[in-house]
Amino acid sequence: MLQTRRLSKRFGAHVAVSGVDLDVREGTLHSIIGPNGAGKTTLFNLLSGDLQPSEGEILFKGSPITRLNSARRSHLGIARSFQRTNIFPQLSVFENVRIAAQSRTTASFNLWRAARSLRDVSRRAEEVLREIDLLEHAEQPARELAGGDQRLLELAIALATDPVLLLLDEPSQGLSPEDAKRFMGRIRKLSEAYTIVLIEHNVNLVMELSTEITVMNFGAVLARGTPQEIRNHAGVRDAYLGKRG
Amino acid sequence: MKARSLAPFLALAALVILAPLVVHYPTLEAQILTSGLLALGFGLLLGQMGFLSFGQAAFNGIGAYAAALALMWWHVPFPVVLLLGIVAGAAAALIAGTLAIQGVGVYAVMLTFALNEMVYYAAFEMKGVTGGDNGLRGFVRPELFGISLSNSMAYYYVVAAVFLATFYFVLRVIDSPFGHVLRAIRENVQRAEAIGYDVRRFKIAAFAISGAISGLAGTLYALLYQFVPLEAIDFKTSTDIVVMALLGGVGSPYGAILGAAIYTVLANFFSEMWARWPLLLGVIFCCIVLFLRGGLWELGPRILRSARALGGGGIAADSKTL
Repeated sequence: MLQTRRLSKRFGAHVAVSGVDLDVREGTLHSIIGPNGAGKTTLFNLLSGDLQPSEGEILFKGSPITRLNSARRSHLGIARSFQRTNIFPQLSVFENVRIAAQSRTTASFNLWRAARSLRDVSRRAEEVLREIDLLEHAEQPARELAGGDQRLLELAIALATDPVLLLLDEPSQGLSPEDAKRFMGRIRKLSEAYTIVLIEHNVNLVMELSTEITVMNFGAVLARGTPQEIRNHAGVRDAYLGKRG
Repeated sequence: MKARSLAPFLALAALVILAPLVVHYPTLEAQILTSGLLALGFGLLLGQMGFLSFGQAAFNGIGAYAAALALMWWHVPFPVVLLLGIVAGAAAALIAGTLAIQGVGVYAVMLTFALNEMVYYAAFEMKGVTGGDNGLRGFVRPELFGISLSNSMAYYYVVAAVFLATFYFVLRVIDSPFGHVLRAIRENVQRAEAIGYDVRRFKIAAFAISGAISGLAGTLYALLYQFVPLEAIDFKTSTDIVVMALLGGVGSPYGAILGAAIYTVLANFFSEMWARWPLLLGVIFCCIVLFLRGGLWELGPRILRSARALGGGGIAADSKTL
């Protein structure tokens, strides 16, 4: 579904992502792990269109999307969540999700009718909020949500755009271990409906959830394979898992 | 829901209709409304989209010149004059907006300022067309459907009708799907883009609407005094627009007209009595920026809240005595 070919990103002399080949197959939960500074988030920014690569190509369903901006990629069905909560803080929780759902309509340049009268959009927003257990907070300003609920909203905004591919950048970041575990349960459920690329620090959770894993180090791919293969990979153990004994 | 949101607008409409009958200064009051339109156009950009434009006078001036010149050269009828002012303001803002949003943050603000300075000097130099610093004269208010508008009361009500229609349009825009996208852009550009909005197109469209309203204001002003002063396109007028909008509050279109009314009245009465009146304005402005960020329009809800809190306290005290 999503492929990259020799994808690289340089910031001056620093090579953040170096010749990465990625192959995310439809229906899989593909995790990207690696130590801090391995280039995981930069790779995500390249996939979502927030950054332009220095070299290489990105293919989505076989067509190149390398030069498309993030808005265009969103319309192709690629949605992302951000590592640092990236919501619309002053707007209500409902509006945060509603405006994401509205982007799927052709009504966004309508100057005259009331936004709330877009029934399908409101219904979709409500549906997503119910699915993600935020409906009771719908009318609250997003900035007043607790940290964990903001992480949920982060995800809800992405879901409301009806994507086929979800790019999730440390979705459980900042949650307590129990909440993080519950959150991962959600993601397991989501993986039944969406193709997911996941960046996650908790290696045990990743091993449990993923169908496929890519390990990055110093901007390059160190290893790729099933959780079992990664667990037995000597280089990975040394570079990354080894630290955990 | 609908009736409640319409109530403040109907109150405003009543006020606008009755004002010159109660206090008979139709020319000054018409000027309040044209200034109100300018603040309204500015507030759409800052209050809704979060873009600070220091170049609104450019759209005002270009609209005014376009209308005045069309009258002088082609003697076009009144509705066409208005339409030309709107189109000229929108076209100017379309170009200015396209250029200004290339900049980021404070640089975008500087671009609006620089573009305003450019058109000002162009107007200053093109004396044959704009009259330079003598201003542009030699046109009269046309009739409207055969009715003479030379009477200042008659003209006031034309301005009032156009103002109220525009105000209602802005209320609709704010409530529309488009308005909601503008606020999403204001809150978080990166996320707005990530969920699929081509932010550039929305920003440019907002500029065009803001410019259309400003061009309309310039046209009505030109016909009010049958004169386009060079100040109409001057950067100083842009700052006046910023000041009156912030004075009233950019969070609401009602704040825009409130700010324009206070500013215009102060400017008229104080400038005759005391040449240094902007000093007073400066003090008021500082107080608002420091203590009342939402502008004077915020004052109403604030007073209501504290009154309710006091009232609540009173009830609590009563129950204690019982």
